[in-house]
Amino acid sequence: MSVSFALCLATLLFLAGIGTPIGHSTILAGIVYLAVSGQDIALAGEQALWGLYDSFVLLAVPLFIAAANIMNAGTISDRLLAWCVACVGRFRGGLGHVNVVASLIFSGMSGSAIADAAGIGKIIINMMTRGGRYPRGYAAAITAASATIGPIIPPSIPMVMYALISDQSIGYLFLGGILPGLFIGVVLMALNAFLASRRDFPKDDPIPLTKLPKMTLNAFPALMMPVILLYGIYGGVTTPTEGAAVAAAYALLLAGLFYRALSVSSLYRIFVNSARASAAVGLVIAGALILNYVVASENIPNRLAGVLVELEVHPLVFIIGVNILLLALGALLEATTIILVILPLFIPACSQLGIDLVHFGVIAVINTMIGLITPPFGMLLFVINAVTGISLGEIIRETWPFIAVLIGALFVLILVPDIVLWLPRTFGYAG
Amino acid sequence: MQITKMLIGWLRAAAEGVVAAMLAAMFLTFVLQVFSRYVINQPIGWTLEVCLTLWLWLVFWGCAFVVRHDEHVTFDVLYNSVRPGTRRLFALLGSAAIVVGLGYSLYPTWDFIDFLKIKKSAILKIPMRTIFSIYAIFLVSAISVYAWRFIKLVRRGLPEDNLEVSEMIQNGVPDEEADERMEGGA
Repeated sequence: MSVSFALCLATLLFLAGIGTPIGHSTILAGIVYLAVSGQDIALAGEQALWGLYDSFVLLAVPLFIAAANIMNAGTISDRLLAWCVACVGRFRGGLGHVNVVASLIFSGMSGSAIADAAGIGKIIINMMTRGGRYPRGYAAAITAASATIGPIIPPSIPMVMYALISDQSIGYLFLGGILPGLFIGVVLMALNAFLASRRDFPKDDPIPLTKLPKMTLNAFPALMMPVILLYGIYGGVTTPTEGAAVAAAYALLLAGLFYRALSVSSLYRIFVNSARASAAVGLVIAGALILNYVVASENIPNRLAGVLVELEVHPLVFIIGVNILLLALGALLEATTIILVILPLFIPACSQLGIDLVHFGVIAVINTMIGLITPPFGMLLFVINAVTGISLGEIIRETWPFIAVLIGALFVLILVPDIVLWLPRTFGYAG
Repeated sequence: MQITKMLIGWLRAAAEGVVAAMLAAMFLTFVLQVFSRYVINQPIGWTLEVCLTLWLWLVFWGCAFVVRHDEHVTFDVLYNSVRPGTRRLFALLGSAAIVVGLGYSLYPTWDFIDFLKIKKSAILKIPMRTIFSIYAIFLVSAISVYAWRFIKLVRRGLPEDNLEVSEMIQNGVPDEEADERMEGGA
């Protein structure tokens, strides 16, 4: 490791560690590297500017953020939830099942776990805790756990970012996430059923089946959203990025004209807040682009790959090792940072060890999503704490069994790549 | 004081309006692109370039004038767990690093951006200097905002402990001033 690179890392760890924004910290670390190694300081800005200006795929990020915010504001989430209650609310621990099923459907429209937890999650936590029927911590924990499905089932903002750093097709990555997302949904519902019978959670009065057709009709336009989105992308009508714009347009149409639940002023606030969130994420991406230049000019990923090949590391050992590392980092770092800054280090090693990059990408995204609910730094825990006021201690106590089964599911997906790769291959993926 | 506050509030609202308009324009351009390509089958060339330019401006305009210090992606586990005295030291060090580091990069970066006046974008033929100048505006804004934060931290302690001060600090230097300085630098 060169002196300049060591100083770059030290700057990054120190500044980020003392609470300086991650975006600013990475830009400064890049400047330190350029200054010490005697290169042109302007390269930092140059990398960030050309990187952002050239990346067509990144345009999906602000559009998916806007789409999710429109759906949350426009009662689309509420209608979906009412429909889920009618379908699966009748079983023991029913609202827990509703929580998971609603997340599965909602994840087919939004690409962000945070949006899932803050929108539909908040409503269902209120339903679960009303009258003290479920422990508050449990309601929050299952909401956090099921929100992780959001970016696993397409569309997915983290997968767009992974596509950027690994040069893989977004289309195949999205397809690769569908079965793992459903699998995780089933696993969470199984855990909920088990805990519900052990802790004797209440049953809700079943909604008569005769009412189901009307409720389905009411939720139908919202239920069509994932279908339209997936057909657009895989029927060859839109690129995934354009799909993001179509999703936002459809959500706007539904909320504004069909359900008439959106005023002009609330729409304005949605655009301001979506733009604000996009800019904050964009700065982290800009910093990551600079850091990627540093890492590439030090030739670190290739050297790492060379060492691993020389040591004859078994691919399975490598992928499990990386996943354990990512889980540990996920407890401390934000998912965007891990995907953009840490993952590029391992991409060349994966190619050389013969690990499929779509499989690796889907696994890595699931892994970072588990990181979102792992204390001490779990973004989803913070979001739920912020929108519901349930204390972090209560939430974290109930979260552990969910983290355990999610990690179990992750290892099944590592060992059985076909769950990830079957669907992409059916649609012509050659890997 | 009251007038300054009003002015800052007004500028902030204007900056928010601009960033929301950029996102809305980007969204509409995308819809137009999909429509022209697949519905009327006459692809428009300039839509992609408009979207990419708007995206770049959205990120750096947003970070320069709309995103507040506490809204950035931050690792605050350590920061929140130390005593207020240490926390103030952390905040001072972070602000100073941003002012010094970004300040150090400002001139060479502007030199690179200025050089791009000879290069024009592929379709709309906008000088790349104009497109990339938003990064220089962002640098000047970040330097001013964190210099201001540093001064306030020295004088009054942690902004998080005092809401009014916090508002002042996070509002930072008025946008116009930053713009003016930028034009002067150009």
